Amino acid sequence: MPPRVQTGRVSNTLLPYLTTTSSSTTSSLPSSSSQCLRQFSATTASQTKLRRQMFEWLSTAGAGLKHHVPGETNYLTRLKQGGHDDSNRPFPNNPNFISESILSEGLREEIYKRVVTQKQSLRAVSVELGIDMKRIAAVVRLVELEKRQRSQGKPLALPYARAIHEMVPVTPLADKGERQQYHESINDLPAHPLTGTQIFYPVPESRSFNRVEAGRVFSGAPALTHEEAAEIHHPYDLAQKVIEDPKSIGWVGKGEKARQILQPADVRIPHPHMIGLERDRIAHPNERHTVQHRHAERLARQESLEQEARQRAQARRDASQTTVSPTDSRFDYRIQDTKFTKETTGANGRAPWAVGRRYGVPHNDRTRGTVKIPTRVDA
Amino acid sequence: MVLRIRLARFGNKHNPFYNIVVAQARSARGAKPLEVIGTYNPIPKRPTNLYNENANARPYKEVALDRSRAQYWLGVGAQPSDPVWKLLGMGGLVVPKPTTFHKA
Amino acid sequence: MRNRASNTLSKGKIRQSWSKYNLYNMSRFRSPATMNRTFFQQKWSAKAVSRAYHGEQVREGQWKRMFSRRIKSVIPMNTADLAADDGSLVSAGRGSGLSKEEKPKYPTRQTPYTNMTFAPLERRLDVAIFRAMFASSARQARQFVIHGAVTVNGQKMRHPSYLLNPGDLFQVEPDRVMFATGAPKNKFERRESRLAQKPAEEAEEANEAEQAEVEEPEVKSPKETLKALMAQAKSVMSNDKDTLPAKRKQELRGFQKAVRRVLSRSGSESSNILTQSLEVQFSHLTELLKAKRETKAPKQDNKPAKLQSEDDSLAFDADEPAASDKLSAAFEQATLGNDINASELSDEEFETLKRALTQMRDNPIDHTKPYATPWQPRDYMSAFAFIPRYLEVNQNICAAVYLRHPVARPGSAEVPTPFGESIATPAYGWYLRRRW
Repeated sequence: MPPRVQTGRVSNTLLPYLTTTSSSTTSSLPSSSSQCLRQFSATTASQTKLRRQMFEWLSTAGAGLKHHVPGETNYLTRLKQGGHDDSNRPFPNNPNFISESILSEGLREEIYKRVVTQKQSLRAVSVELGIDMKRIAAVVRLVELEKRQRSQGKPLALPYARAIHEMVPVTPLADKGERQQYHESINDLPAHPLTGTQIFYPVPESRSFNRVEAGRVFSGAPALTHEEAAEIHHPYDLAQKVIEDPKSIGWVGKGEKARQILQPADVRIPHPHMIGLERDRIAHPNERHTVQHRHAERLARQESLEQEARQRAQARRDASQTTVSPTDSRFDYRIQDTKFTKETTGANGRAPWAVGRRYGVPHNDRTRGTVKIPTRVDA
Repeated sequence: MVLRIRLARFGNKHNPFYNIVVAQARSARGAKPLEVIGTYNPIPKRPTNLYNENANARPYKEVALDRSRAQYWLGVGAQPSDPVWKLLGMGGLVVPKPTTFHKA
Repeated sequence: MRNRASNTLSKGKIRQSWSKYNLYNMSRFRSPATMNRTFFQQKWSAKAVSRAYHGEQVREGQWKRMFSRRIKSVIPMNTADLAADDGSLVSAGRGSGLSKEEKPKYPTRQTPYTNMTFAPLERRLDVAIFRAMFASSARQARQFVIHGAVTVNGQKMRHPSYLLNPGDLFQVEPDRVMFATGAPKNKFERRESRLAQKPAEEAEEANEAEQAEVEEPEVKSPKETLKALMAQAKSVMSNDKDTLPAKRKQELRGFQKAVRRVLSRSGSESSNILTQSLEVQFSHLTELLKAKRETKAPKQDNKPAKLQSEDDSLAFDADEPAASDKLSAAFEQATLGNDINASELSDEEFETLKRALTQMRDNPIDHTKPYATPWQPRDYMSAFAFIPRYLEVNQNICAAVYLRHPVARPGSAEVPTPFGESIATPAYGWYLRRRW
């Protein structure tokens, strides 16, 4: 086994925890001579050949896997290749699976501080720290839960958490003044199923064929007229329009088959405003201050629009539901307004999506393949 | 014939679930009603302990009701059964009945 | 359900489990042969091998209903590229024969789609618990769910086959997780726990005394806390005399001595301070140590630090873990030298002592627990330690959020699978064809 390279971070975490994992530092070396692995069994004959081989392997080649070295991964791949590039691949046969880093405790606290204490938007924190927005929301939720459990005195698994953070690659929180290392790519574009097809589509050479038009072709929408196309200088203009008014996306098809026109990547990525920033940088390379200012404005604008939409949805939900808490009852009653019309119950009043259990419709909870367990749990 | 607004039991053993229905008074509980105007789930649900505001909330029961249809059927003289009266009373559609029993 | 998930050596199947048998099976795994075998046979064996790992607790029919040929994938976009180009450059001049110059090229790596064949199974609650490292096997995770130790969004969920939705928060009882991931008890510890459970009066009294120690740390001074810690260290020593590695014994002894020294030095000042909680006590204790360190001359401090760094490098050259040596050396220094006291601990030693103290608090000896105390990770756990990106895990409270469904991206697939493309592709092919 080659000597391990000790980075600064590693040596820092290498300090033993006296009562627990200190043995791990000593016995991670394959010292086959000193280890007496078969002490539990007096008889050699009872073991099969395979068992014998296994214990042999565990005492020689596999001995290093028994305990971890804090701050380093310790995967089987290390034995197979011995290369340092493979240090984060847990499965030797699968080069496509990478053990990716998790957020460090400090980074988690930082996220919570920024979102809850400093009231920054998820979007801004996500861009600054290079962490997906969903992950940031989840971290806030989990840290909040942790704080509550701590205050309630519920049991925690602290030694376990520490051990996991020693074994798994971790994205640390940058020191003050240093640039935060990005945790993951934040502008992931989901591959749309419509784009799977190969389409032959002749385009006049006089006309530029860009992402907006490609999206229309994929979803089978008619091409833009010249006036419409002239309005859009860059697909980002469309993104801005959609941010302002999400309902401006057109539809193709009728009735049940209606679907929205496939939008260009500029609209569908989580942080379209970053394209605006880049475009400003290209257009005004020497005016850093203005660029930043406009970027902040755009962020604030998008944030306020999203906030409004959320509030509207919440208000709609609240308006349709009244909660009554009778004094003589142990329970609250949540009365949900419903409308029984042809649309909500079907033409004969028995549509499967109609409110209430239906009459004259077979109850198929015994049929094969139907889901009998809950499909969702409301938070 | 009297029209009643009453509950029709669905669900399984130990797992009741009711439709709030408008039906002829003498028709069977499970028979097809004139109209379904809502549902009532008598199994109380516990608000999850995930958010601070929920920490001390009471458990709740879910009711779904088409107010306009209920209003209409009450207007034409349909008589709610006692449990439905309780639910409609909470929805503000009828005057709640005073509790009938008093501890001596 | 019958458990077919045994890690037999003769079959050599890879399972979702952290056992050493599984590790050995994984190390000697060879892809099934393809030479002289029909395409059907290849697909069959690929399917068999991968199903032994992916959801072997799920019936084949159930899995086939879950299978989807549509595989989720994402492409990480570069906003600078998007800003620079509206896409018309790629399509311009195509077919005219005019453009000979290079088109803008985007770096492309293959997306391993077929490695995502079993992505729908990752939605299952039991599999997600295993992936979040809350259980040592998918079977154990399943048991946790059935035994009611798991909540989803704060509500108890008893169905292992519950399919998590994006945004669902699931939580396992920390004690179960510690049991699943911790080292098992040895026979001495088992005996200890049996004694603790005995209804004999003495044992009860002892228990009460212990509980008193645990429950009433508020009235104790830091000095007494330290004393208690020392007693703990001692008890660890006396209990596990035969089992403890010599190194650890040394460390513990060193720790005891160090604590004694600290006690004797700081005793006069700290005994009059009665702090409110254990936390405060610890912080006070550490502050005390720090303050003492700073007041005493830093000149003296330099030398040992230097020496130690040299020691470090030497130890490193010899490919030996340096820190434990360093620590014991520190303790030796602290104990042997007549005029050296706690104030002369170097930064690292000081850190170690502090950490040891917190460790003692967070990870106490408790014979009532079903795992070996103080808790330590089970053997061979690190070889299986990874947390996929579609989960966000908080280990402190043993809760995790299922962020989204696993996706493939250029160069990597998020579904953890020990099999490469040569098995994943025929397995995907097997399920593409409807045979039922």
